[in-house]
Amino acid sequence: MIDPQLIAQLLVAGVVLGSRYALIAVSFGVIYSTTQIFHLAHAGTYTVAAYAAIVVANRFGAPLWLALPAAAAVAVAFGAVTDLAMYQPMRRRSATKLAMFLASLGLSIVVSSLAQIVFGPQNLSLDRVPNQTFLLGNVTVTTLNIAEVVVGWAAIGALLLFLRRTQFGRAINAVRINPQVAMAVGVSVDRIYLLVMMIGSLLVAIAALLFLMGNVAFPTMGLDPILIGFIAVFLGGTDNVFGAAVGGLALGLATSLSGIWISGDFASAVVFAILFVVLVFRPQGLLGKAAL
Amino acid sequence: MFNDYYADIAILILIYVALGASLNLLMGYAGQFSMAHAVFYGVGAYSAGLLTVRAGWPPLLSIVGAIVITFVSAGILSLPAAKRVRGEYLILLTLAFQMVVSQLMNSLRGLTGGPYGFTVPWLSLFGKDFVSPVDFAPLMAAACALVLAIAWGIGESPFGRLLKGIRDDEGAVRALGKNTILAKLLIFGITAGLAGFVGGLSAYYYQFIAPGSYTLDLSIFIVSIIVLGGIGNLAGTVVAAIILGGLRPLLQNLAFIGADNSYPWQAVIYGAALIFLMMFRPEGLLPEGFAFGGRRRGRLAPASPAPPMTPGVNGHRPPVAPGQSAIPTEAPAPPIVRIDGLSKRFGGIAAVDCVDLAFGERQITALIGPNGAGKTTIFNLVTGTLTPDRGRVLLRDVDITGKAPNEVANLGMARSFQDVRLFPRLTALQNVAMAVPNQPGENVAALALRPLHCRRAEAAARAEALRCLELTGMADKARERVANLGYGEQKLVAIARLLATDAAVLLLDEPTSGIDPASLDDMIDLVLRLKEMGRTICIVEHSLTVVERLADHVVFMEDGKVTAEGTIEELTRQERLVEVYFGT
Repeated sequence: MIDPQLIAQLLVAGVVLGSRYALIAVSFGVIYSTTQIFHLAHAGTYTVAAYAAIVVANRFGAPLWLALPAAAAVAVAFGAVTDLAMYQPMRRRSATKLAMFLASLGLSIVVSSLAQIVFGPQNLSLDRVPNQTFLLGNVTVTTLNIAEVVVGWAAIGALLLFLRRTQFGRAINAVRINPQVAMAVGVSVDRIYLLVMMIGSLLVAIAALLFLMGNVAFPTMGLDPILIGFIAVFLGGTDNVFGAAVGGLALGLATSLSGIWISGDFASAVVFAILFVVLVFRPQGLLGKAAL
Repeated sequence: MFNDYYADIAILILIYVALGASLNLLMGYAGQFSMAHAVFYGVGAYSAGLLTVRAGWPPLLSIVGAIVITFVSAGILSLPAAKRVRGEYLILLTLAFQMVVSQLMNSLRGLTGGPYGFTVPWLSLFGKDFVSPVDFAPLMAAACALVLAIAWGIGESPFGRLLKGIRDDEGAVRALGKNTILAKLLIFGITAGLAGFVGGLSAYYYQFIAPGSYTLDLSIFIVSIIVLGGIGNLAGTVVAAIILGGLRPLLQNLAFIGADNSYPWQAVIYGAALIFLMMFRPEGLLPEGFAFGGRRRGRLAPASPAPPMTPGVNGHRPPVAPGQSAIPTEAPAPPIVRIDGLSKRFGGIAAVDCVDLAFGERQITALIGPNGAGKTTIFNLVTGTLTPDRGRVLLRDVDITGKAPNEVANLGMARSFQDVRLFPRLTALQNVAMAVPNQPGENVAALALRPLHCRRAEAAARAEALRCLELTGMADKARERVANLGYGEQKLVAIARLLATDAAVLLLDEPTSGIDPASLDDMIDLVLRLKEMGRTICIVEHSLTVVERLADHVVFMEDGKVTAEGTIEELTRQERLVEVYFGT
């Protein structure tokens, strides 16, 4: 007999984890679906955000309300510079998608290695993060858990509204569907790519900072979440930002609930098994449109 | 002075060379991608180590076990890749596999010893102990040479040519009658098996196996070696492995970095190298096709005076049943291909709507009609590129409906493409030679077990390819990469490639489109000659003059339906058709 309290606790943990994955997936998905770049350096942006917060809050002693936005700004700048200095020149030379991925891979490993050289390989945590634990029924929840869920979905909702309701959002959609036509009607594709890189970087910075408040920073912290984010994007269908969010939530729930039967050590094996099975039997993703 | 310190560095570099060469075979030749090469190296080490320690197997047998385990696991992992998963998803899949296996190495404590790993005894072979780096270095050098030889041998074999074809255009390879799925599964298995072999051997050198040695960082490092050296160039991989492998010992000896930080500094350097290469020199230090001291080329097989080519001249597929007259006749021939009620819808549009067709043997049938009438879709349906919703396709009374493109081609019906679809980085001769059916050298087992037989067959295939090129007037361009040929020349090479399949029925999709008027007559003569040689031809063509000169029978299509059939004179007499066609 499975303990109902355990299920409730895992369910809550799954929603929290799923919200984190959803936000990361959306941050990656908005970049990938528009630029078609396998932007692995997104892991670097995630890491930059976390370490920037630690520098501003711990070393300079700034309060969190200042440190967190400052860190997000650094991450957005990092994303923008990545696009301006790396991807844009490569697009001009009509680099292949593989070449752009490999450059992105190079950047991600440069960031994690520099983080190790500058900050050392050990875990670092953010000072003075307020957190409270309380019981919801008989399930343990923290205020950070709630913050992560609320802020995560609010950010996803804001992005969806932005994409549907604003001029910029519609331009992004136009470029995503057909860059040539978008260019022909006067949309600057370079500017749109820069914009989505900045939006994606902002969202992933939010995810990184929410994670950092309850956890720790370490040099290779970015890779796992970005990988799971991309798997979620793939599951949800790459043409659909909301699908990515659903994919992220589903992965979070699946990882957490698998804890009923197997040890948490094998959580990533569960994610991989889902990816493998879907790739074999439904290569267009769970929510993706059938390929012609 | 070759002491243990230098021997240790040399062994590490040899391992990098072997891992780089095996992955380059996958990336550069087959055009597949893997971010999990370190995992296969690691699985090889773990397998050999565990088989020795737990099962008490002798070292050589344990290494064989490691090869088998990595071969099989990579074969299973590449199932989605074989089913056409490419590009990002292949990166994603292998990246995820790398992360998961890394984690399992840590978590499966009972088996792997967890994060702290386990120890392996040193290697004892033929009464000799290989304990120190100086003892072990010659062994690793031999293993590395073996891996290089296998990678080079496979790369330059007919199987390697097939892999390059898959890399450049998999659909076109299938259209030539080759099974690409098996080839892809095999090359994933082989390259992983090579990494497993190196890993297995390294287990006895390091005598200690822990997850930290087989992380994503190593996979990225190997990819960097290949990219730095040049994707598709094994010599480049050797050079790059020496450069990047020598980096860390160099950094360790720089006082201001210190041994602790030599790993991350090494990573910063190769990461940055990756970025700058991709931005400014994506082909790497030594591009594909580059070789030191110029390329040594095999001599061209002497061009024998072309005997009259008929299908089945090599005994492959006689199109004419014994006893039946082989003399072409103008009288209505029995149809060799029959299409009944063929239909295909795309969403709400009926691209092909209940089409009945028959191709008379040794005749030229032309499909004409306005754009979007469904002519190319018929080719796609008939050759298995698309599956029809309804209807049947019979080739010599054999039902070929829904068969895979390679099976259709093997049964004797092959097609050309409107947009040519040659393999741009291969020479004209290689393009055509790939189409020759029944090549033992495309079978890895035969390559290993019957090398001489494969060699002779390869010489025959090249002679055959050269003959096909001669027939199309392209023999003097046999050594040219097709990317350097003009468009009209490419179209002729494509016909030669089609001819080399030895198929009795040829489907030509707009063979004259885009070629200059001067070459037009050559192309028309060539198609007529194919007919004289006994081929049955169906041609999609826009120019009515070309149709007039070629076709025995003309089929007019509109909106996915056949609306008229007959000779060109009969059709051009119908004013309505002319109006539809020219849109007047």
